[in-house]
Amino acid sequence: MSPPGRPKGEYRSAQREGEIHSTRGLRRVAVTGVGLVTPVGNDVATTWDALLAGRSGGAPITLFDASGFSTHIAAEVKGFRATLVDDRKLLKFANRSHRFALEAAEQAMRDAGIRPTAADATRWGCAVGTGMMTADYDDLAQTHAHCGMSGELDPVGLLDDGPANDPLVFCRGQAAEGLALLTRRFGIHGYATSVHTACASGGQAFGTAMKLIRRGRVDRVLAGGFDSMISPIGISGFCLLSALSADNETPQRASRPFDATRNGFLLGEGAGFVVLEEWDMARARGARIYAELAGDGNSLSSYRITDSPPDGDGPIQAMHQALGDAGATPADIDYINAHGTSTPMNDRSESAAIRAVFGADVARVAVSSTKSTMGHLIAAAGAVEGVVCALAIARGEIPINANYRDPDPDCDLNLVVDAPRRQRVRMTMSNSFGFGGSNSCIVMRHPEEVDGRDALGASR
Amino acid sequence: MSAPGSPLSVAGPPQARMAPQRDSAEGSPLNVTKVVITGTGAVCAAGMQPQAILDTILSGQSAIGPIRQWDTTQWPATQAGEIADLDPRKLVPDRKLHKLIRRTDLVGLYAASSAIAASGFVAYRDALAPDEVAPYNDRTGAIVGSGGGNFQNQYDFFPLMSVARGDLPAFGRELADNVNPMWLLRTLPNNVLGHVGIQYDLKGTNACITNHSVGGTLAVIEAMEALRAGEADRVVAVGHETPIEPQMVLYYHRVGLLAKNTLRPFDAAGDGSLFGEGAGALMLETEASANARGATVVGEVLGGGYASEGQGLLAIRADGDGLVRAIGMALEDAGLAPADVGMIVAHANGTRQSDASEAAALRTVFGSAMPPVTGFKWAFGHLIAAAGIIETVVALAALKANVVPGIATLAKLDDACAGLAVSAQPRPPRSNVALVLCRGFAGTNAALLVRTA
Repeated sequence: MSPPGRPKGEYRSAQREGEIHSTRGLRRVAVTGVGLVTPVGNDVATTWDALLAGRSGGAPITLFDASGFSTHIAAEVKGFRATLVDDRKLLKFANRSHRFALEAAEQAMRDAGIRPTAADATRWGCAVGTGMMTADYDDLAQTHAHCGMSGELDPVGLLDDGPANDPLVFCRGQAAEGLALLTRRFGIHGYATSVHTACASGGQAFGTAMKLIRRGRVDRVLAGGFDSMISPIGISGFCLLSALSADNETPQRASRPFDATRNGFLLGEGAGFVVLEEWDMARARGARIYAELAGDGNSLSSYRITDSPPDGDGPIQAMHQALGDAGATPADIDYINAHGTSTPMNDRSESAAIRAVFGADVARVAVSSTKSTMGHLIAAAGAVEGVVCALAIARGEIPINANYRDPDPDCDLNLVVDAPRRQRVRMTMSNSFGFGGSNSCIVMRHPEEVDGRDALGASR
Repeated sequence: MSAPGSPLSVAGPPQARMAPQRDSAEGSPLNVTKVVITGTGAVCAAGMQPQAILDTILSGQSAIGPIRQWDTTQWPATQAGEIADLDPRKLVPDRKLHKLIRRTDLVGLYAASSAIAASGFVAYRDALAPDEVAPYNDRTGAIVGSGGGNFQNQYDFFPLMSVARGDLPAFGRELADNVNPMWLLRTLPNNVLGHVGIQYDLKGTNACITNHSVGGTLAVIEAMEALRAGEADRVVAVGHETPIEPQMVLYYHRVGLLAKNTLRPFDAAGDGSLFGEGAGALMLETEASANARGATVVGEVLGGGYASEGQGLLAIRADGDGLVRAIGMALEDAGLAPADVGMIVAHANGTRQSDASEAAALRTVFGSAMPPVTGFKWAFGHLIAAAGIIETVVALAALKANVVPGIATLAKLDDACAGLAVSAQPRPPRSNVALVLCRGFAGTNAALLVRTA
């Protein structure tokens, strides 16, 4: 339900004309390094191949015996070993999602070919989207057996309970632990923050990071998101809400965003990271620039905790803001990486929002949800999908919306189905909408559209 | 920024420079939007309103006492600043909501509602022409510092675990019959953000910052920056946390952070911190937004700074490096000199390592010309994610009353804190500008400069 009295086309006028940062001489932000640990690959190259091929990461859950749950499939990260970060002292403090984060962040740093030094550590920031940090099931089960068998906690029993007295369990469960591990690992001494707006977290982390560079508070930021909720407690939370697809017999087809038969999301896990740099500094050192992180939009739906309104109110404002912030119009966008969770409500609401924002351009702009292959990485989703957008620009390739078969008239978009598209991608948009009503939209731009020079700085 | 003679000009000498000009990295000066405060809200063990909390502090009586939420007779840590007889209906009138949120969300929503009510913007909005309401809401945001996860919510699985007896397939099968279907929603760290948005129809810029103790202060800094950048015209900034639960108390005790009986910041007998619970909130607006409806301006956010030390989750540098940089950045951001600061509300959490390094940082920045320094945690405990923002709210009340409250539990200044301008007695502030400091896990440090109208 949209608020009474909102006239058609009113959204745009809520923007402030002439407030576009990129035309006001504010600092531009370059993406110069990327890293991924996803259910379809433990690095960027493997993940990208799977996204182009539409190879799903969905499978029966192997991390625990999930056979009793209404949904017992997920998109797990497979065969993961912390290979780049082998600091055993650090890893002692890291839970599964922290390990994904350290690995993906290390990939991004190496890819960028730069890392903080003692001289510039205070000019580096870190902004991460962090998961909910629910208890590790094994720890909780131990505490339950020790002092919770009655069904309630016996506080006295806690005094000699194992996990409740283990500082490592405490540290691994702290919301700021991921940030602590990353800033320590890389020696980052500037602005460091962790945000949680559920499924919008990763996108909001990218937006925060971009603004830090614009403000001049830092010159470079390690930004990303990480999450792993494929655990008995995590799966429980979503099963109780009937949010997950229960297509247990066909896990690879369970996530089918915008398809008429979609019936819930496929839970994924992993991490996505980027190195962001002030544009001129990146050019000056000859960095390879994947894309400009050009605009951020940020709104609240203020409708229901779990849903966006069917008419797209909320996401519409975020998309308009991101375009305005980037100094762009819908005609500039060649690819939308949709939030596209494969739930009946989200995909309908998001389609309505895209139609409202793009108008006639909706027939032209390519749309896909890579959740069709990777599943929903929750707090990491926006970050991983931001990396996907940077890669789409850099490689001139648009990954597919896998598993799309039955058109839904409510989701009448120019979906990339059957085969990836190979085309010049001038600008991208990435949507992330979270439980709680936070909507994040991130816009990126091809480097040649910024300064007429290609990724490596050669003039066109 | 404000012109000389504006209603917000500084009261007492030395005259603070109130025309901050931030330089962009290219060196071109930007006119920075003035960010005013039009409402505040706070709740903790010491009171349900900012003035009541200040009165408790000025009385010299700490609101910290024995924990009552569970029997602590055999416990190594027994003291905290609990909100006595917390009544959910008094905090959040909408009873339907009580099933969907936690104790921490109750206090957060209460503080946010208090600040919003004090600002009066809702009545103004509701009187706007119908087609002006939606754009107004689109330009009104919320930024929240939240404590993230807690342990008590996880115990909601204990009845199920007792039924399943360690058998995971049985756990899965019996799930729906033994756990509240809304469990995940009750557990969301961003619940206050979502519900304050729904309650007041806020549609604008937003964030939920889960950054341990600095979350609330960062909410204020990010709200200020959003207003300066033109992303919104109004933002309610909130911080909330209720950490007083058995497993949290035990962990903080085990890692050596909790005091035995009394929180004594900077004191030779100081032996740790103590938890409090509650929330703080500030309604922040651009000056233009406040002027448009003739709002009463109670203060101004002048600038913020933030830096991390990157040494790990619990490590703190002895020289206060991160805090020195955060304060320097805040002063630069506000266009102020150290001499302009009228009072310092230190983090003053009572742990020896934090207190000593904080004293070192203040000596480095202010030297012998240090304004009166105080801290509030001795009176209501450490509110973790809410600490920095509730202390900002109380600092504004103190400036309005022209008083720097004393630290009543301070008997003998610790040698490691020599040179710190602290006192057990109240003193007058040097100007109407307060510097509020906040430090958290992961070596994070935040500094905020505010002043009263």
